Amino acid sequence: MGESAILETKCLNLWYGQKHALIDISVRIPKNTVTALIGPSGCGKSTLLRCCNRMNDLIDSSRVTGEILFNGNDIHDPRADVYTIREKIGMVFQKPNPFPKSIYDNVAYGPRIHGVSEKKVLDRIVEDSLRGAALWDEVKDRLYEPALALSGGQQQRLCIARCLAVEPEVILMDEPCSALDPIATAKIEDLIIQIAREHTVVIVTHNMQQAARASEYTGFMYLGKLIEFDKTTRIFEDPAEELTENYITGRFG
Amino acid sequence: MTGKSLSGATTVAVAGIFVVLLMAAGCVGGQSSDSSTPQHITVTGSTTVLPIAEKTKEAFEERDASADIMVSGGGSSVGIKAVGEGTADIGMTSRDLKSEEATGYPGLVRHHIADDAILLIVNPENTVDSLTLDEVRGIYNGTYTTWDQVGGPEEQIVVVGRDSASGTREFFSEYVLKKEDFVKTQEEFNSNGGIQQKVSRTPGAIGYVGLGYTGGVKALWLDVGGTAVEPTLENITSKKYPISRPLFMLTNGEPDGLARQYLDFIMSEEGQEIVASVDYIPVQE
Amino acid sequence: MKKEQAALVPFQGFGRLRRPEVRIDPSSAGAKRQLVDRIVGKLLFSVALFAIIAVFFIIVFLLRDGYQIVLETGPWHFLTGQDWNPAGQNPIFGVLPLIVGTLLVMALAMVIAVPLSIGTAVYIAEIAGPGTKAVVKPAVELLAGIPSVVYGFFGLILLTDWIRVAFDQPSGSSWLAGSILLAIMAIPTITSVAEDAIGSVPREFREGSLALGANHWQTIKNVIVPGALSGISAAIILGMGRAIGETMAVLMVTGNAAVIPDPILNVFSPVRTLTGTLGIEMGEVAFGSQHYHALFGVAVVLLIITLAVNSTARLIINRIQRTSRPTPPGWAGAASVPFVRVARAVRDFVRPQTRILHPITAQRFAFSLIALSVISVIAVLGVIIAEIVVNGAGAITWEFLTGSPSDLGRAGGIFPAIVGTLYLVGGALAVAFPLGIATAVYLIEYTADTPLTRGIRAAVDLLNGTPSIVFGLFGFAFLVLFLNFGVSMIAGQITLALMILPTIIRTTEESLRSIPHSLREGSYALGATKWQTIWRVVLPPALPGILTGAILSIGRAAGETAPIMFTAVVFSSRYLPSSLSEPVMALPYHLFILTTSVPGASAQKYGTALVLLLMVLSIYLIAILVRRRCHRAKVM
Repeated sequence: MGESAILETKCLNLWYGQKHALIDISVRIPKNTVTALIGPSGCGKSTLLRCCNRMNDLIDSSRVTGEILFNGNDIHDPRADVYTIREKIGMVFQKPNPFPKSIYDNVAYGPRIHGVSEKKVLDRIVEDSLRGAALWDEVKDRLYEPALALSGGQQQRLCIARCLAVEPEVILMDEPCSALDPIATAKIEDLIIQIAREHTVVIVTHNMQQAARASEYTGFMYLGKLIEFDKTTRIFEDPAEELTENYITGRFG
Repeated sequence: MTGKSLSGATTVAVAGIFVVLLMAAGCVGGQSSDSSTPQHITVTGSTTVLPIAEKTKEAFEERDASADIMVSGGGSSVGIKAVGEGTADIGMTSRDLKSEEATGYPGLVRHHIADDAILLIVNPENTVDSLTLDEVRGIYNGTYTTWDQVGGPEEQIVVVGRDSASGTREFFSEYVLKKEDFVKTQEEFNSNGGIQQKVSRTPGAIGYVGLGYTGGVKALWLDVGGTAVEPTLENITSKKYPISRPLFMLTNGEPDGLARQYLDFIMSEEGQEIVASVDYIPVQE
Repeated sequence: MKKEQAALVPFQGFGRLRRPEVRIDPSSAGAKRQLVDRIVGKLLFSVALFAIIAVFFIIVFLLRDGYQIVLETGPWHFLTGQDWNPAGQNPIFGVLPLIVGTLLVMALAMVIAVPLSIGTAVYIAEIAGPGTKAVVKPAVELLAGIPSVVYGFFGLILLTDWIRVAFDQPSGSSWLAGSILLAIMAIPTITSVAEDAIGSVPREFREGSLALGANHWQTIKNVIVPGALSGISAAIILGMGRAIGETMAVLMVTGNAAVIPDPILNVFSPVRTLTGTLGIEMGEVAFGSQHYHALFGVAVVLLIITLAVNSTARLIINRIQRTSRPTPPGWAGAASVPFVRVARAVRDFVRPQTRILHPITAQRFAFSLIALSVISVIAVLGVIIAEIVVNGAGAITWEFLTGSPSDLGRAGGIFPAIVGTLYLVGGALAVAFPLGIATAVYLIEYTADTPLTRGIRAAVDLLNGTPSIVFGLFGFAFLVLFLNFGVSMIAGQITLALMILPTIIRTTEESLRSIPHSLREGSYALGATKWQTIWRVVLPPALPGILTGAILSIGRAAGETAPIMFTAVVFSSRYLPSSLSEPVMALPYHLFILTTSVPGASAQKYGTALVLLLMVLSIYLIAILVRRRCHRAKVM
């Protein structure tokens, strides 16, 4: 774990009202890698993910202590601009959520809200982003058709393209394949590995094989605590904690 | 999803059409009022006086195309208040000023423009043709409840009257009822037309209205000292028919300009002919 | 590993967009963006406060003119006095007969309307085929679009006569006439809300019941209607609200005698309602007199009664919702609780020994009753429209549509009234539309559940329950007299705007709620601000719903008489108004005057009614079409 960390949490605690959802999480996410977060439902992995770009701000009852450092700066700093943070730390959701607009407008949405209005520039961003999400060849002839007409897998790749279009440094993915069939899932997994060449990806997944296939680092969470964080190979072959081993081998609970 | 964006466009279009319609209406309005540079006056108040104001206004405007007289109803109190406060140029009232109004607006000048007779009307099927004032009082205070008590058929009397804020009712109450209370089951309407319509459709009904509201109903003769008097224009003018009251227009101070011209026109021979033509009693021969 | 080496290379970006690397800097573009966002939020917040301010002013101005009468007569005498005789030798102001009249008329109206409406709702939701449904549903909704003064006109001319002859009564103006009329007016409200509720009963309930061998009627009776109970209660309450606040139609048919029926259930007795009292006496009353104050006292009582009805109703709904739907996790489990109960009921019902009628006979019987209720509702619509169209079509000429009235409306046309109505409605919309949308956006997108937002919501509810005549009175006391606008177009526009504001807020809120949360998250996750998200992602798909609400409120505003009769209208005007401070003519008021005050204008009367009807109905038709379009788009 010697390489530079782009995201780092220090003693992160989070409450939803009375519920203590994250307990003393300290983790360093290495730059330009894929990190998987695994653990049973309700263990806090999605919550941790949503903390990293302050999406939890949208939940009124949430309260956070501790630090999350992004490139060394605390994202909860009162002077921090939450919108720039989210621009730099993008997110892809469990269910594809394209806007009810055309494919083109979906991808161009991000650049537009950040002030890009020149048509030529937008065209290039849209094309590059769609290529980056391996969707360009499938949609290049129907960019102005409604995004909701795409299949589920295509929609999810569109959401990834939409995310890439604002050039984030980190992309957080919250079970991005859980609503997709195996073929679409495989495409997304390939895509994740490809994207990680230039971006840092943090992915929450329930799929052990996916974590093993796609990620370099894996964190195992249980009941709001980060039990273990290490190289994926290590976690899957020789975990330090018994809890982790039980979970991975399916002898859980 | 094309359907969705399309429907958005349609709705916007619909809203747009509506706005355009409004604006078009605005243009039409603008044009017609720009065609002459009208002198405005507003006349407001009693609905009883309204027909006189309305008809004389039409005749007046025919002679003077630049005049714009706006007539509205609302009631005597509205008229008094409006002219007193200066929001209208002329007020119309079918009753005299109340003491608080007279002290509140000391500048008001009354113009007695016509008289209004109050007719008792019954359904045409009713066999009763005339009543004495006492009988009328008896009907309205609840002493008589069936028509056979006053020489008619064996039928329940449906007492119909004006609402308690009306000047007509006030006059009727003072003159006929001697301020006794009305029978509580009296049905109330807020207009002469309402009463007329009600009586014309209800066999047992009796009501009181102005002279003009006799279509579809039978106007009763009044038995004065043993002789039945028909409510004709002549009898009313000569006060043989006893129930009539003055109608006024009010101005704040002596009128001038268009208001003066208009009032003069009403008082002129032509104006008073119009008064008679809408079934009121002229005040000048 | 390769990846680790790659990780050491600093991130270069795609190089297309050049933006500052520093993200935590108060002077950056981000700070500006946040500032804009905060300003918009503050702006929306202050607009949202408008509802509270409006309610505050309404209450203050009603009390300001109404408290004196209570001081003079004493609250007890005012409320329980048996006589309302403001013009007597000794004026007496007792509102008990008016309160009793209001409650009786409303109660009987509900007795008539509820079974008919629920029958019709069940028919539309459960029994009708798609073809019939496409006819019946809009027909019922069109009933809602008929202006109340048209109903009053119809009631005065046909209904009271019919009652007098059919029941052999001396007079047809009665409690019964008022109730029938109000029932007709409440039916569309109750039907459409109840139909929504029935339509949203989960399919599984239905299939579960049918799978147990219950027939269609048994399923409706034991599973579907109980399942939709809270929605149906809400529907009844909305209908009650409409009935209690109605003025113009009621005052034309109830006879307005301030008596308590004797015996109390004598439906042929004339009665007088609180709204009717305001409607007939307000125009003529001397300002500042005891009688004037008494009328404001009546308005306060009316407001309190409407409030009481609405809040009791809300309590009942909440209770029903709580008992039928406990909300712990695992909603499937929770849902199965009533279902098990219902299934048991079905079993009991199907079991042979408890049968009174053979199920098939029962179904046939029930369905014919339902058909009967549908037919009577449609027949009423048919009679009203036929009466008006047959008698009014002849009056519609070019001159009638484009000319000014003369001879008290017996001749000439109604052009100024048509334009005046458009002006009033357009102005009301121009005020209420932005205010309403901003308030709804603030309530849905900006706030958590704070005492303040609860206050705003309560204020909106209050406005929604306020009878239109009370708006009229407020407009008169505040705009016309206090602000000294005089009887003017602007006073009418603002009054109407207040009246339609809650409708626009409500429908906008509904539309916004129907936009999935995931879309907002998607936008936030790209770094969009709240306002950017609302403006670009949330509002566009919500627009059709918002517009439908706005169009429906236009229809309502165009047909209303009570709010404008003291604030904005004149009986006749040769020219169109050239400024906002001039009064205007309006179709509903013109019709009201022609009907009640001008004898011998029969053709013009029907003609005006027809034009008003066509205008309002076409507005409703547009709303229905818009909604259908959106519906289709959503299904895609």
